[in-house]
Amino acid sequence: MSEKQLLQVRKQKRLQVFLFFAAMLALSVWSAISTGFSFSGLFTGTVDSTKFIIFDLFPPDFSYIASLVEPALETIYMSFVAMVIGAIVAAFLAIFASATTAPHPIVQVAVRAFSSLFRNIPVLIWTILLAAAYGLGTLVGTIALIMVSTGALTRAFAEILEEIDMGQVEAVRATGASYGQVLAQGVLPQFLPGFFGWSLYMLEINIRASTIIGMVGGGGLGFVIQTQIKLFQYEQVSMAVLLTLVLVLIMEWITNQIRERII
Amino acid sequence: MRIESTYKQNIQDRLEMPIKPKKNIFLQIALLVAVLFFFFSLYQLNFDYARLISGTGAFLETLTLMVPPDISQWQHVLAAALESFQVAVLGTIFGIIIGFVLAFPAADNITPHPTVAWLIKGFASLLRAIPTLIWALIFIVAVGLGPFTGILAITVGAAGMLVKVFTQSIEEIDYGVIEALKATGAGWFSIVSQAVIPTVLTAFLSWCILRFEADMGESTILGAVGAGGIGWELTHAMRAYKFDQAFFVAVVIFLMVFSVELVSNRLKMRMKNIG
Repeated sequence: MSEKQLLQVRKQKRLQVFLFFAAMLALSVWSAISTGFSFSGLFTGTVDSTKFIIFDLFPPDFSYIASLVEPALETIYMSFVAMVIGAIVAAFLAIFASATTAPHPIVQVAVRAFSSLFRNIPVLIWTILLAAAYGLGTLVGTIALIMVSTGALTRAFAEILEEIDMGQVEAVRATGASYGQVLAQGVLPQFLPGFFGWSLYMLEINIRASTIIGMVGGGGLGFVIQTQIKLFQYEQVSMAVLLTLVLVLIMEWITNQIRERII
Repeated sequence: MRIESTYKQNIQDRLEMPIKPKKNIFLQIALLVAVLFFFFSLYQLNFDYARLISGTGAFLETLTLMVPPDISQWQHVLAAALESFQVAVLGTIFGIIIGFVLAFPAADNITPHPTVAWLIKGFASLLRAIPTLIWALIFIVAVGLGPFTGILAITVGAAGMLVKVFTQSIEEIDYGVIEALKATGAGWFSIVSQAVIPTVLTAFLSWCILRFEADMGESTILGAVGAGGIGWELTHAMRAYKFDQAFFVAVVIFLMVFSVELVSNRLKMRMKNIG
């Protein structure tokens, strides 16, 4: 490439970047105008929220913690059960969803479409849709979490399977190994780190999600927060929020520990 | 002599240390605990399995009521969808701005002071650990209903995450690059603008795209607690048992999140090719 061409390419790239930022700016201005957004509103809103947090939410009512233990545990149980079932189902579905292992392209498209449907409808929306049929409580929350976990993990696992180093698989096959042995010695060792990594990540996401699905009737801490806000019991709300915070941070810490040791 | 023997011992330890089997033992214990905890959780949750079956029947029944979707309210629904989209855009943009400003003083390798870095990181993990919907509930009480509350909630969630990942990207920079500029006598701002930003820009951009994907999902659910957007339409329709209307809203939500995922995948592919 001559120097002139190089300059040309550089100019083009700069133009692209400029256009990208201009488009972003235009998009934000348009959004700000139609949602009635203003910076003075942002300022007073931030001040009001800070005041509310300092004067109304503080101090948290620590005596309330006894009645929060049950919903907090529910949150953990729901997330864990959903993660395990989701991971097992997704590992099975991923075989049909990845280009390298799918028995037929049509099967692959169908499974991918299903997982995309599960994944791209947020868990809260699933809870709202399912609550009419299953009633309120932990059951509907767990089902919604299972659906979204399955959808997200199927995609992730399928991508892992597609990125597998076929040389290793080929090498095992060349030794005369059977199909089962090829799977166990060639595919599985490459699949497992990703499998555990993603499952742990899903557990973290589920913990966050399950604290909020309570707000639409899925049980757990979210339900408590929603009810107590409606009753203006802000000090109990902040206790529940604090517990959510502690729960999320502890789970993040635990999954990090496990991740470091396994992968 | 003693040093030599400990050195030998050390080598021997290393040679004899079975690295892989040890890992496997931890893995086996972890798996065993996981299986036990799974059944314990199931036991504690104490599901009514009869309701699981009857509920599935009831759900299939509502599915037949949902089809065909009722699109008579489309103007209303699309306006709400547009609002959700705009809330997601603004929330992500503000989150990016906050994340961008705070990430540089928060990164260990270029922070002006370790305490500053520690404070910002702690603040960010506080913002991050509280789910967006709970932020929305807090802001509703403080600011009132409407899209503005949604923007605030999304901004807080996005900022919490972006400060963390931006900081990590900066901390992964090869120290030689910073050292080289320091040696020329460059100040903090020129180090950041000349060495740090060009190195991390691609990583930052892909995190921004990823965050927008997540915020799109978040903004569709904000309406469920009254913070504006399409989530409210769904809650409304379900409460009125208008399942066919609810189905239409659900389809629109799916299409919104799905198309953002599609676009972001294409962008990521392009960035991979460029980078």
